[in-house]
Amino acid sequence: MSQSTINDSVPAVPPAQQREPTIVARSVSKSYGKTHALRGVDLQLGHGEILGLVGHNGAGKSTLMRVLAGIEQPDSGDVVVRDGASRSLWNATTAADFGVRMVYQELALCPDLTVSETVALSDPRPAGIWGWRARAERRISTSLDTVFPGHGISVLRRTGDLAMAERQMVEIARALCTDNLALLILDEPTESLGSDATEQLYAHLHSLTERGVSSLLVSHRMQEVIAHSDRIAVMKDGVVVGVFDDTSESELLVSMGGEVKADVEQPLPAAIAAAGADQLAASVIVKSTSGISFEARRGELIGLAGLAGQGQEQLLTKLWRAGALTPGVAVPHRRAYVPGDRQTSGIFPLWSVAENLTISSLRGLARFGLVRGRAKRELAAKWISALKVRGDAATPIIALSGGNQQKVLVARAFASDAELVLLDDPFRGVDVATKSELYSLMKSEAAAGRCIVWYSTENSEMAHCDRVYVFRANAIISELSGASNTEERIIADSFDEMTGTKK
Amino acid sequence: MTTSSAAPYAPPALAARARTSALHGFPALLSLVALVAVFVISVVNQPGILSVTGLTLMLMSAVPLVFAAQAQMLIMSVGDIDLGIGALIGLVTVIAATLLRESPLLGIAMLTAIVVVYALLGLIVQKRKVPSIIVTLGMSFVWLGIGLQILPTPGGATPDWLTAIGRWRPEGVPSPLIFIAIATIIGWYLSRQSRAGSRLRALGSNQATLEKAGWSLTRTRVLAYVLAAILIVISGLLLASQTRSGDINSASNFTLMTIAAVVLGGGNFSGGRALPIGATLGAVTLGLITVLLSLMSLSSSLQSAAQGAIVLAVLAGRVVTERLAR
Repeated sequence: MSQSTINDSVPAVPPAQQREPTIVARSVSKSYGKTHALRGVDLQLGHGEILGLVGHNGAGKSTLMRVLAGIEQPDSGDVVVRDGASRSLWNATTAADFGVRMVYQELALCPDLTVSETVALSDPRPAGIWGWRARAERRISTSLDTVFPGHGISVLRRTGDLAMAERQMVEIARALCTDNLALLILDEPTESLGSDATEQLYAHLHSLTERGVSSLLVSHRMQEVIAHSDRIAVMKDGVVVGVFDDTSESELLVSMGGEVKADVEQPLPAAIAAAGADQLAASVIVKSTSGISFEARRGELIGLAGLAGQGQEQLLTKLWRAGALTPGVAVPHRRAYVPGDRQTSGIFPLWSVAENLTISSLRGLARFGLVRGRAKRELAAKWISALKVRGDAATPIIALSGGNQQKVLVARAFASDAELVLLDDPFRGVDVATKSELYSLMKSEAAAGRCIVWYSTENSEMAHCDRVYVFRANAIISELSGASNTEERIIADSFDEMTGTKK
Repeated sequence: MTTSSAAPYAPPALAARARTSALHGFPALLSLVALVAVFVISVVNQPGILSVTGLTLMLMSAVPLVFAAQAQMLIMSVGDIDLGIGALIGLVTVIAATLLRESPLLGIAMLTAIVVVYALLGLIVQKRKVPSIIVTLGMSFVWLGIGLQILPTPGGATPDWLTAIGRWRPEGVPSPLIFIAIATIIGWYLSRQSRAGSRLRALGSNQATLEKAGWSLTRTRVLAYVLAAILIVISGLLLASQTRSGDINSASNFTLMTIAAVVLGGGNFSGGRALPIGATLGAVTLGLITVLLSLMSLSSSLQSAAQGAIVLAVLAGRVVTERLAR
């Protein structure tokens, strides 16, 4: 069973071919509806090279990874690999044949399967009747021992019972159980790993490059990317805006669209909060002291920014779910929530526009427990004209376009008497004209005395906010307001490495 | 750095394996407790049970239920539920008592057709995203209609070979125990030991991962339905071998009893879990309750109520123990 030891059978590439790039993406474009995820990306990975890939939210990193792994087909452009003449088609099967493996984040495992069963899933060889399990146990144990000595993971355990870091180690080790590994794509591999495991992973990546395996390292941990990549590609708005051989954090931030911090000094959120506290303390209506310390006042439009999944949604959920007795959280009783994914959690697809719009405000419209039809129609008509929703009150909601559905959802929140309105990245895929209408609506509603907390992955939107909290690693890294509230500053702060060193 | 730098590979020790299996099978433990409790109460009421004949009589009714529960477990492990199982077992007894005796080839063709239909059901559920509950509930009326068409009133006679299976009484061992063990081993092999079984659980656990690993979701679901259909056919034939006749309504309570057996044995509705031993324990427990109630000379109409009470008690116990374990 010489095959079962990991990666010792990496195909020997003839020296003549070693100078050829392992994989090349040529003017790859990909759109989802109106969103252009990739607009002509050119990228190449050399033999045994570690290429870092960085960029802010929506820069197109994930889409590019999926195209390279053959999971997504580009709309135009193509992906060519080393001996590419024989491969006219690039899809998941040919990518696997060539030896492309993707390391997903730790949640991509099946929680009910054991570690060894998970590995056996991605073993294309025939199973046999009894032998497959022992083979899988041997492969994953060897792989884990090689990359993460002293990992302490039993291969018999169910992956759902493992800790996050252990799951991520399994996911990495699983990808390394590929016999013909040629290109490893790593999606934020160190996000949940401890510092020891992180170093072990990078040591192994370097040893892989000696055997000619290329790696594409996607991470927002700038220092790690700089320390371990041979070259670094920066993506912005669906294109690769620069490839650097030797670079610094500030240079990368600039090309991503961030600003260089002249000063490491951070404005402390507490200091700002204290400054205006005297006259405004009375109007603080949202306060969270458990976990993330956060407060908002009546009449404020607060932005939550930073890279996706750094804790912004958890804060919104906490504010939304909090009850009168939830310790450490004080919120007004009347709240409204605008979800980001209107298809799964927003609209009632069988209802009309008016019904969808007024569902949160029925209490105000009711008399003796019965909803007054005229008041409901008037309220719906008022918002429909205010937001220029195409169609009238009786139109079925699913007959509207996505942007108009989103307007109805936002209107639903503001038509209610909620004092606190929470928005969970609601404007994804909404056209520019609609967005600017919604921005001005939010501003005027805030001015009218409501408190609005708005999470957005679109940094430019944050300019509309009175104050912006930038999140990183489930904590608020900085609070921006007035002149400091710029897109560049948000980008710079969301990649802030200050917290990265404390692990 | 190659593998030589790491410690030499040692497969997990037997003790570690046993410990992990016990940990994973823990949810099935409570159904064992329930089974022991029901059994002890039965023995106290009627000490004659503790003989080969007594155990044979007592466990006989559980045999078809155990096979059906293993089938339901396979379907539930991919995240689906089969609501047509009871009607289909009834139809199999009808086929066994009529066609299988009169024209064996046609009978075998019909049983094969059932398996093919199940393959199609799996295809429809996966491709058209129709909930399995709706598809199988609809099919249960189809099975009922076909069964009534073939044999409007209970009756018929099973082929001699099938009757012989039902009459088989080995020396020293109650025959139902052997059938129950076979059913459990089949279920264990299909769901836990074979690699195909881990694919079934992966489908119920995290579809996207299975797809990324390069497996066809459709084929996996069809496989689950086909394996379940085979077990259902076996269950129906065994039921017919005991009653020696066909009755479309003979197993109508199996549908909910199999679901209860799987849940009792540690399974869940969301899929991904398959505990064959637990399913067997659950099915035997539910089967024994019927016997126990007649031993205690209680009305058999209380049977469903008692079964429901036991299911609720075990599930409540599971919630408590899982919280304590955490």
